[in-house]
Amino acid sequence: MRGRLLLWWLRLRVMTAKELIQLGRDPLLLIIIAWFFTADVYLAGSGISMELKHAPLVVVDLDHSAASRELIHKFREPHFRLLGEVAHPVEGQRMLDSGEAMLLLEIPPGFQRDIRRGLQATAQLRIDTSNTILGTLAAAYSAQIVEAYALELAERRFGTGRLLERAPVIDDRRRVWYNPNQTETWFMSISELLTVITLLSLMLPAAAAVREKERGTIQQLIVSPLTPTQVMLPKVVAMTLAILAGTAGSLFLILLPVFQVPVKGSLPLFFLVTAEYVFATAGLGLFIATLARNLGQVTLLVVLVMMPMLLLSGAWTPPEAMPEALRMVMPITPLYHFIEMGYAILLKGAGVDILWDSMLALALIGLALFLFGAWRFRRQLG
Amino acid sequence: MNLHRMLAVAWKEWREVVRDRLFFTMAFILPLMLMGVLGWGLSLDVENIPFVVVDHDNTPLSRDYIGHYTDSRYFRFRGYLADEHRIDPLLADSKVRLAIVIPPRFQERLLAGTPAPVQALIDGVFPFRAQTLKGYVAAINAAFSRNLLVKHLARSRGLPRTAAEAMVQPVRLETRYLYNQAIRSDWSMAPALIMLVLMVTPPFLTALGVVRERESGSIYNIYASTITKGEFIIGKLAPYAAISCFNILTLWIVAMQVFGAPFKGNAPFFYAASVVYVICTAGIGLLVSIWVRTQMAAVLLTMVITFIPAMLYSGMLVPIQSLSPEARLEAHLFPPLYYLRLTWGTFLKGLGPEALWRDVAILALYATLLWGIGWWRFTKRPGR
Repeated sequence: MRGRLLLWWLRLRVMTAKELIQLGRDPLLLIIIAWFFTADVYLAGSGISMELKHAPLVVVDLDHSAASRELIHKFREPHFRLLGEVAHPVEGQRMLDSGEAMLLLEIPPGFQRDIRRGLQATAQLRIDTSNTILGTLAAAYSAQIVEAYALELAERRFGTGRLLERAPVIDDRRRVWYNPNQTETWFMSISELLTVITLLSLMLPAAAAVREKERGTIQQLIVSPLTPTQVMLPKVVAMTLAILAGTAGSLFLILLPVFQVPVKGSLPLFFLVTAEYVFATAGLGLFIATLARNLGQVTLLVVLVMMPMLLLSGAWTPPEAMPEALRMVMPITPLYHFIEMGYAILLKGAGVDILWDSMLALALIGLALFLFGAWRFRRQLG
Repeated sequence: MNLHRMLAVAWKEWREVVRDRLFFTMAFILPLMLMGVLGWGLSLDVENIPFVVVDHDNTPLSRDYIGHYTDSRYFRFRGYLADEHRIDPLLADSKVRLAIVIPPRFQERLLAGTPAPVQALIDGVFPFRAQTLKGYVAAINAAFSRNLLVKHLARSRGLPRTAAEAMVQPVRLETRYLYNQAIRSDWSMAPALIMLVLMVTPPFLTALGVVRERESGSIYNIYASTITKGEFIIGKLAPYAAISCFNILTLWIVAMQVFGAPFKGNAPFFYAASVVYVICTAGIGLLVSIWVRTQMAAVLLTMVITFIPAMLYSGMLVPIQSLSPEARLEAHLFPPLYYLRLTWGTFLKGLGPEALWRDVAILALYATLLWGIGWWRFTKRPGR
């Protein structure tokens, strides 16, 4: 019994080493993997921001009064960039059409007069909402700007500060936890890292398995004394090791030193969860390998599987916004749990006491996927 | 350039695509599927945000205030908590994204005409969501405060309601949304997804088509034949470009029929521009196929140089103006930026060639450059 166990272990070790050597001899693949874990994560984290910054604004001021100028100059950087004034709304509309400007602020004649008389003055804003994300942000920010300006005017009339101190209003005390300044780089770089892990843990094991099929070396493995599990498991183990190494590189070369992501939780726990996730996803990758005959097919299948996974899990979008039916499906995808745990460990400092249910769910999904992939693989080999 | 030889290669390639059943279905189904999944899934709307309330006051006014959240489609009420200590684990476990704490004497303070504090705790992990939530909370607070203030002024000074309103809010902003009046995110997403799908799928098909021959060794037949490299490249890639040109139409139909995006522009112009774009992106696949030797590497490299620029550097999710200077430069180096201007311009803004010819010209230049480099670097000699 002990001898057999030892043999099993030896075979696993030798085959894993073989997979790693094979990976190591494809320099281009190694470069691409390294690129994904470092440069790609860096680019995603440093360049990308979904904030509204420098939105080009053009103004038609038909009032030319102190009040109108005061309002115009409330629209300023970093959210808005004032392009200047045009004489006529038609010219402004042309700039919106061509995309030169995103917002057109129009101040009607009699703006200041209305304010003086105690009437409600109205300014008009046209927003290009062909990009809805930007459009809604621009609308919200300009509403806040005008609101603040209105309050300022009202306070001036009542005497400084009196309105807010002695009036029945809500004293708004918002606090944002875990990322108080909403540093985009933290979110974007972690999100990109998790996406890269997903892509590679689907792709690498599937490709390693199909390559053997394509080149015919699988025949050698079939005639060897190895069982299908001994052929398959080393591929998964080797790729998991490679991906964990890449993750470590990404964390210690990019996320921590460059972006200063504050790791609140335990890194060993993060690596444990990552290993669990890579194993689960690799099971899916092996299933793909059994469906495909060549690498081209593997790719297309990987894309087909990965896209829904990414979108259903909240990697790029707030998962709450999904339609009701899709929200029921979300907990089935392993990435959903991985993402929640990834952020919870790295940014929120959550530990096993809070995350045990997600860890358990991921383990069960992983086990199911892995056994399914293994079963298909064994059937095909046998 | 011998047309006969070129057609022979194209015909051979077409049959190969048709006979690889999975490859064939993928060539046609994958684009549609990407479009469907992303169209339904890629919604950045911040809605249904789960939240909890700690109400220490528990008066009619505090419940009225909470009602502003529970009645909104942006929030989803998850219950009351007895004290603040319960909030932390719920936020850390992502069970809720927002917690509202109303301190004691909320109603008493407001009825006495003094401010009352309310605390909102927001999960900041996803900055975009946090920003939007902050905006929602601010808007609810502002509306609630304004209402109270108007009532207060009307009562204490005996003013009519409109005068009190003008006093509280002397300036009002009237906002009009252009091109997408209802701010429907699928209207803006569907045309953008045509850009994304046509950026990703043609290079995959072309790169795999060429590298597959190299990997399986059948490219030696080409090396040994009389065909010139120009004839080979064009003949080889023509079927893939044709498939993609057909896919333009299906994607267009899906964008309009399934996602309901309006098409306001010039249809022949848009189709012609899309063909230029497809030729351009197929050229990216050609370059990839020249640089790499294995299908695996081809796939990963194509992924890197198409998907990420299309997603992040095109202006589809992330505005070009808010990119960092390096990223903005990078964005201008990839074709999706120009094509996205074309799709949004024709679909939503109804612009025609006179406003958009420059973007088509850039794409055409790009395509010529890519195919030129492809032709120059392609070699009929084995064993590089």
